[in-house]
Amino acid sequence: MSGLTLDRTALPGGTGVQALRQQAVDIFSRTGLPGRRDEDWKYTDISRITATLGETWWQPAPTETAEPEISDIEGLDAYRIVFVRGAFQLEASNLPDSIQLKPLSALLAEDVDATSHGLLKLDESAPLFNGFLAANSALASDGLCACIGENTKLDKPLYVLHIGNSTAHLLNGIMLGQGAEATLIEHFVGGDGSAAGLSNIATYIRLQDHASLSHYRLQMESAKQFHIGRVDVQQARNSRYTLHAVELGGSLSRADIVVKLAEAGASCELNGLFVAAGRQHIDHHTRIDHAAPHCSSREQYRTVLDGRAHGVFNGKIVVAEGAVKTDSAQSNGNLLLSKQAEIDTKPELEIYNDDVKCAHGVTVGQLDETQLFYLKSRGLSETEARQLLTFAFADEILVAMGHNAIRRFIEKAAFAKLPNMADLDGLLG
Amino acid sequence: MSFVVKKGFDDMLKIENLHASVAGKEILKGINLTIGAGEVHAIMGPNGSGKSTLSNVIAGRDGYEVTAGSVTYHGKDLLAMKPEERAWEGVFLAFQYPVEIPGVNNTYMLKAGVNAKRKHQGEQELDAMEFMQLIRKKAKLVELDQSFLSRGVNEGFSGGEKKRNEIFQMAVLEPSLALLDETDSGLDIDALRVVAQGVNALRNAERSIVMVTHYQRLLDYIEPDFVHVLADGKILKSGDKNLALELEERGYDWVKDEAAIAASDQGQAA
Ligand SMILES: Nc1ncnc2c1ncn2[C@@H]1O[C@H](COP(=O)(O)OP(=O)(O)OP(=O)(O)O)[C@@H](O)[C@H]1O
Ligand SMILES: [Mg+2]
Repeated sequence: MSGLTLDRTALPGGTGVQALRQQAVDIFSRTGLPGRRDEDWKYTDISRITATLGETWWQPAPTETAEPEISDIEGLDAYRIVFVRGAFQLEASNLPDSIQLKPLSALLAEDVDATSHGLLKLDESAPLFNGFLAANSALASDGLCACIGENTKLDKPLYVLHIGNSTAHLLNGIMLGQGAEATLIEHFVGGDGSAAGLSNIATYIRLQDHASLSHYRLQMESAKQFHIGRVDVQQARNSRYTLHAVELGGSLSRADIVVKLAEAGASCELNGLFVAAGRQHIDHHTRIDHAAPHCSSREQYRTVLDGRAHGVFNGKIVVAEGAVKTDSAQSNGNLLLSKQAEIDTKPELEIYNDDVKCAHGVTVGQLDETQLFYLKSRGLSETEARQLLTFAFADEILVAMGHNAIRRFIEKAAFAKLPNMADLDGLLG
Repeated sequence: MSFVVKKGFDDMLKIENLHASVAGKEILKGINLTIGAGEVHAIMGPNGSGKSTLSNVIAGRDGYEVTAGSVTYHGKDLLAMKPEERAWEGVFLAFQYPVEIPGVNNTYMLKAGVNAKRKHQGEQELDAMEFMQLIRKKAKLVELDQSFLSRGVNEGFSGGEKKRNEIFQMAVLEPSLALLDETDSGLDIDALRVVAQGVNALRNAERSIVMVTHYQRLLDYIEPDFVHVLADGKILKSGDKNLALELEERGYDWVKDEAAIAASDQGQAA
């Protein structure tokens, strides 16, 4: 496998930044890309990416020429931050002025001491660390950096729209100061879908005491695109983090969600929904570290797999020795709509003290025949009955989305994917 | 011009020599039963005798293999229809064990059901307003609290609430053939009265009702025209409401004995 080479002229940042990039390259040359021998990549074969994109899979290469059309989510009133094929678009954006916000490209170009932001600095010992993350630091060309100050309650969500296919390595850093509150929506949409690229996206989130972030991560790339994501969250005392991760698009999509409940009273909630069909491969590895007492975590993932889709869910929860009064619950439900669809799911609990409450459960199944018959006996057609039950299966995750406009948008997008699932009028609300 | 259908005049449902198996085991062993328009029939019989199997076969549930016989409904071959078609044609089953369907709204399900049926019958679909009016009226009829309308189908309902919800659904769907499989089981005394009132309110010359029950109590409220004893997959005896009283007093053994004697007499005669 060929290593990464840096084209320093093409990447933003002065000498400090370039030194960090070089460190990342060095790490990559040691780690390489994850392979199937790695326990955490057992079910996800990334040779699909390298086989399609070639030896220089990492190289930013604009692949589509058509300008993507930028459209909003209906009914969503938000600050909009737009990236087209990995590059920030000031014109198309609508930035808040109540908070500090900059694209990474600008931040690095200003040549402030980027090491102080710590953005490109890698921690090889971090859970689920892998070569893609090293490549991300080495090659990060843009992204969103936002600092939401102490006690600032952002009046509208930050809506970060990534649009158009290309290979891009983007790095986002979101910091919430003490008592700050915000909603972040990351939305990945493809372009015309004519070409394949790799979206390699890392999002670092830091929450100070009592800060609260609602995070929507909507992966709706076009059919050939590859998506590798990482969400890395660190939470201070009494902070709250809620993730709504929705996986609909792409050919192969993998996300590592790593949350550290670092101080007492912190809580997180991870809600995940996959709706996949065709030959889509979707993999989430989540890792929640209960590192302090009195923290709570709630995790629920639902996958709906049709065609020959393959889903992977690995939910690891680690409760440290001192993390007494931990309250943790995880559930993972998987609905296989076809005989060829496949799921590999594994909850992993590592608990190093006795004073904890941990519950977890996994189900894998088809639609319930008794429920289907009940609905049909009331006059619903086979199709309608299947549609309703599939919808009901995903409902728990959809209902948890506090933001109605997003919920409706996802409901429509998710079910438009499945055969005969288009007409949802009356189901909504 | 008006045409009055006399009770028992028109055969709504005709079951002839019906044999059905589940998982290779024969459960129904030659059922013969004719139900006229406007009639109320009660089916009683020991546990495991095939009462629910019969109801399910009529409603079209998967997993039952009909090995012989026929079921004719309004002159049509019922067994050839899909379950939803049977519903559109006016067949309704109140389940012995109503299914919980979390996440599927009770009202939504009914609206979809009612409109599918109307469409099938060439009637205009009800809009949201008309439909809400209809279900409010019907909820009142069975004294079902409005809060149940917006919940998931039977989700977290108590046993009795589920049964009441079945009757509510029947009232909304206005079937011409209603099969009530032990709708009285699990109801408290007040609920039984309310449910019975609901059923009685729906009784008319075109609507037939088949009630599967273990208890005479229900028949005090809803007076049947006919009572049948189903045991070991066959209808062993039929009579009027007095048969139910007799069963209450004497149990089923004498019916089985009578049938056994009759069978052996027949055997000897042959
Ligand atoms: N799926 C199945 N597999 C095997 N046996 C079955 C199945 N379904 C029903 N049976 C059997 O068929 C017989 C008749 O069952 P059915 O439910 O029709 O009885 P029932 O008369 O309604 O009884 P109850 O009064 O207890 O409700 C029983 O012995 C039952 O165990
Ligand atoms: Mg029964």
